[in-house]
Amino acid sequence: MSTENEKSWYDWAKEQTNPSDAAKKPEALSDLLVLDASYGSIGGLVCSSVLAEMGARVIRIEPSIGDMARNYSPFGIQHKDTGLGYLVEGRNKHHITLNLKNQDAREIFKKLAGHADIIIETFQAGVMDEWGIGYRQLKEINPRLIYTALYTYGQFGPKASKGRPGSEITNQAYSGLAYISGEPEREGPAEYAVPTKTGSWYGWYSEGLFAAYGTLLALNFREDTGEGQFVDVSGAECLMKFIDYNMGWFHMDGKVKERLGSYDPSVFPYTFIKCKDGYTFMAAYNDEAFNTLMEIIGRPELVEDPRFSSFMQRTSLENEEALQNILEEWSTQYPVDDVIDRVQKAISKKEGRAAAVVTGKVTHPSETLEEQNWWDRGAFVSVKDPVYGELTLQGPLWKMSETPPRLKWICRPVGADNEFIYLKYLGIGKNRLAEMKRDAVV
Amino acid sequence: MEQEDYFEWSKDLFSVSKIFGKPEALKGIRVLELCTRVFGPVTADLLADFGAEVIKIELPGVGDLMRYVAPRGFFWQNISPAFTHMNHNKYHVGIDIRKPEGADLLRRLVAKSDILVENFRPGTMDRWGVGYRQLKGINPGLIYQGNSGFGQWSVFKDRPSYDATSQAMSGFSATTGFPGRTPLKIGVWIGDYTGALFAALGILVALYHRKKTGKGQLLDVSQGESLIRVLDWTWAFQTMSGKGRGLYGNRDVAISPSGIFRCMDGFVAIAALDDEQFKGLCQAMDRDELIQEDRFKDISRRVKEDNNIVLYDIISKWSMTVSVEEIENLADKHRFSAHRVSNAKDHYKDEHLRQRRAVWEFDDPLYGKVVEYGPGPKLSRSPGRMKWFTRPIGFNNEHIFRNVLGLGEDEIKELEEQKAIGNWMDRVGAKPPDDWNGEDGVFF
Repeated sequence: MSTENEKSWYDWAKEQTNPSDAAKKPEALSDLLVLDASYGSIGGLVCSSVLAEMGARVIRIEPSIGDMARNYSPFGIQHKDTGLGYLVEGRNKHHITLNLKNQDAREIFKKLAGHADIIIETFQAGVMDEWGIGYRQLKEINPRLIYTALYTYGQFGPKASKGRPGSEITNQAYSGLAYISGEPEREGPAEYAVPTKTGSWYGWYSEGLFAAYGTLLALNFREDTGEGQFVDVSGAECLMKFIDYNMGWFHMDGKVKERLGSYDPSVFPYTFIKCKDGYTFMAAYNDEAFNTLMEIIGRPELVEDPRFSSFMQRTSLENEEALQNILEEWSTQYPVDDVIDRVQKAISKKEGRAAAVVTGKVTHPSETLEEQNWWDRGAFVSVKDPVYGELTLQGPLWKMSETPPRLKWICRPVGADNEFIYLKYLGIGKNRLAEMKRDAVV
Repeated sequence: MEQEDYFEWSKDLFSVSKIFGKPEALKGIRVLELCTRVFGPVTADLLADFGAEVIKIELPGVGDLMRYVAPRGFFWQNISPAFTHMNHNKYHVGIDIRKPEGADLLRRLVAKSDILVENFRPGTMDRWGVGYRQLKGINPGLIYQGNSGFGQWSVFKDRPSYDATSQAMSGFSATTGFPGRTPLKIGVWIGDYTGALFAALGILVALYHRKKTGKGQLLDVSQGESLIRVLDWTWAFQTMSGKGRGLYGNRDVAISPSGIFRCMDGFVAIAALDDEQFKGLCQAMDRDELIQEDRFKDISRRVKEDNNIVLYDIISKWSMTVSVEEIENLADKHRFSAHRVSNAKDHYKDEHLRQRRAVWEFDDPLYGKVVEYGPGPKLSRSPGRMKWFTRPIGFNNEHIFRNVLGLGEDEIKELEEQKAIGNWMDRVGAKPPDDWNGEDGVFF
C-alpha cells in the first residue's frame, strides 16, 4: 500500500481540496469570455459570479450612471460608490460602461458579442431583441454563443409578453416559497401569521444559480456539438423545483401544502425547539432514531404511545404539537449547547438509522461568523481589494481537487476597466474612448 | 424586411412540441447515485432532467429512507409524493455495496461511468473500499461528488446534518421571519436543495474540464456552507456595521419598496426596482404626488429606513382595499412588479406554466397520469424533459445488469442468492402499485 492510502480520508481530502491551495491549480473556465449585461438584478450577478469564480473572464456592462443594483443595500448604506448587495457579487469581474439605449453603443455591443462565449441579461423578454442585440440577431454573428436571459415570466408563454417587470420578491411569491413559509393563523389574523418571505434574496440567488446551471449545460452541449443556444430562465419556475412535493401532492391527493411555522407535515420530529437560552433544530423522524431520542429525553415509554408509535402517526398536526411540547419540557431545562452535547453523546453509541438524531443550534449571523469551522473551510474569507479595502465575504463554495474556484478581487467601480477592455477586444484607444464618452456611448 | 414578432419567434424557438425531437445536453453521461433522502437525489435529478443516464443505487429491501417520508402519511399507488419529485428519469437498481460482490459490481459500474454522487457521512465510502481514492484508480476520469452537512474535512465531519441543521447554523433562520417571534424554519428543505444545486454546478464545471483534459476530480459540497453563500449582504453588513442583520418580516430593507402585502382576498408581492416602476406603482395607487416628495424621489432615498417604513405602510393600507387580481392587472398596466402569493393549486391551473412545461403532465407506464414541475431552465437546442416517474427499489436491475454490465441470467441469479443485489420489500413506499401486472414499465 502506498503511504497516500495510509492517511485518513479526512486528511487526504483536505490536502486535495484545501481552498488555500487554489491559486496553484488551473481554472476550469479560463478559456471563456462572458458579457454580463444584467441590470437591476442580483440574479444576473449571481450567475456571472459562479462563472467568474470558476475562472471565466466576466465583463460587466453597465450604463454610465452604473447598474441600478448598486443601490440595493441595507438601509441605503454605500461603501465607496456601491451598495453591499452588489459588492458581494462584483467578484472577479471587469466593469465597463456602455449605454445600450444608444444606437452606436449597440454596434459596439455586437462587436463584443463576436468575442463572447456567453451573454447574460435580465431585461424583460424582447427588450434586447427590440434593440437589435437579442439572441435572434447575435446568433447570426456568433453561432457558438450561449445567451442566457433571466426574467420572472420567461421568454415565451402568455405571461411573457405582458411587460410586467420581474423581481426578487415576485420570484418568491410566484414559486410558492412564500406561501408555504411562515406561521399559520391561530387566533385570527396577526401581523406575523402570514406567508413570509425568506429574509435574504433567495428569489434572486436561486434564479442566478439556476441560470448558471442552464448556462453550463449549454456549454457542455456546445463542447460536443459546437452549437450555441438560448437559455431561458424564469427564477419563479426554477424555484418551484424546490417546493418539495407541492405539485405531486396536489395532483395525487388534491392537497395544498400550507404554511406551518416550523412544523413539517411529512417528517416529525423535524422542528426547532426552545432551550434554556436559545433554540436548536431537533430531528429524529425515522422510527429507530425516534427511539433513540425518547431514550435521551428519558421518556422511552412514548415509543409505544399510539400517537407516536410510527412515523405516520407522528405527522398529524395534533400529534406534532403534542410531541413539540414534550420535547420542550425536556429541552428548556438545559442550555442549547448542553442539549446538543447530550444528543451527540447518545448517538455516538448508536449505529445506522438509530443514530439519525440530528441537531443544529439556531445562530445569529454574528455567531455564525465566530465559528472557526466556516473560516477553516473558506466559507468566509477576508479579502483585500485595491479599491474597496478589506471586507469579509462568503468565499467560493466548491472544494475541488483539480480546478478549484477562487476569489481574486471584490468589485470594480463603474467603468473602471473601460480602457483595458475596449483596447484588448476592440482596439479602441484613449482618444476614441474620449469621443465615445462625449457622445454618451460609454 | 419585416421582422417576425419576438414572441412568435421565441415560442417557435422553444416549441414544446419539438422537445423530444431535439438532443439532450447530457447525452452519453452516466451518473451513479449512492444517496438517500434529499441532498444527493436532487443533485442527480438535476442531471437526469437534461439527459444524463442516472443509475440510482439503493440498498435492497428498504432502499432510500426518503421513500417513507410522506405528507400526513399519504401514499399514492404505494409511493410517496415526497419521494417522487426528486427521482425522475432514473434507473433504479438494488445493490448492497457493503458486500464484497456488491462492491465489485459498483466498481464495474464505475469503470463505465462519468460521475458518482454520494451523500454518506464523510469517509464512509472510503472505509468500505469504494471511496474516491480507490475508485479513481479504476476510472481516472471519474467526477466524484461528495455531499455532506459540513464537508469532507470539517471539524464537524462526524455530526449528522439535515437541511434545517444548515438553516439553523448558517444564520438563515435568524434572518427570516418577524421580530419577537420564535425562529422560523423555511417551509421547504431549502438547505438540501441549495446544496444540491451547488453540487450540480460543480459537477458541470468539472465535466467541462474533463472534456478538455480527460481528468476527473473530487468535489466536496456542504449544506451549511451553501446557505452561507446565498445569504447575500449579511456578512459584509455584519462586519461593516457591527450590529448585524435583524428580522424585518415581509419588508426588504435593501430595496424599497419590495415586500409581501395583504390584500382584500389574499397576499401579493409588490416591488418597484427603479424610479420608472415606482412611478407606475404610485399611479396605480392613485398617489401621483408621492413621486414629488423628496424622501421618495429616487431609490437611494426610498431605501433609507424611515422612508422605507413609511412607504411600506402606505402600500399596505392601499393593498388592503384592492383584490389580488386588481393589483396584478394594475402591474401589467403601470409596469411595476407584482405577483400573487401562489400555491400548488394556482400552479396546477396556470396556463402560462402549462404552456412552458414548467408544470409538466406526462403518462407513466407504471403510475399513469402524473404531474410534476418540469426542468428549470428552458434550453432552445438541448432542452430538458420528463420521461418517466420514479420506480420501486431494484426495478431496473435486469436492464442495467444486462445492458450496461453484460451479466447473464445465471450471474444475476447468483448475485441475488448472495443478497448482493435485490429489489423491493413488501412495504408501502418501496413496492410497485398493488394492481401492477408484473410487466408495465419494465425495460428489457
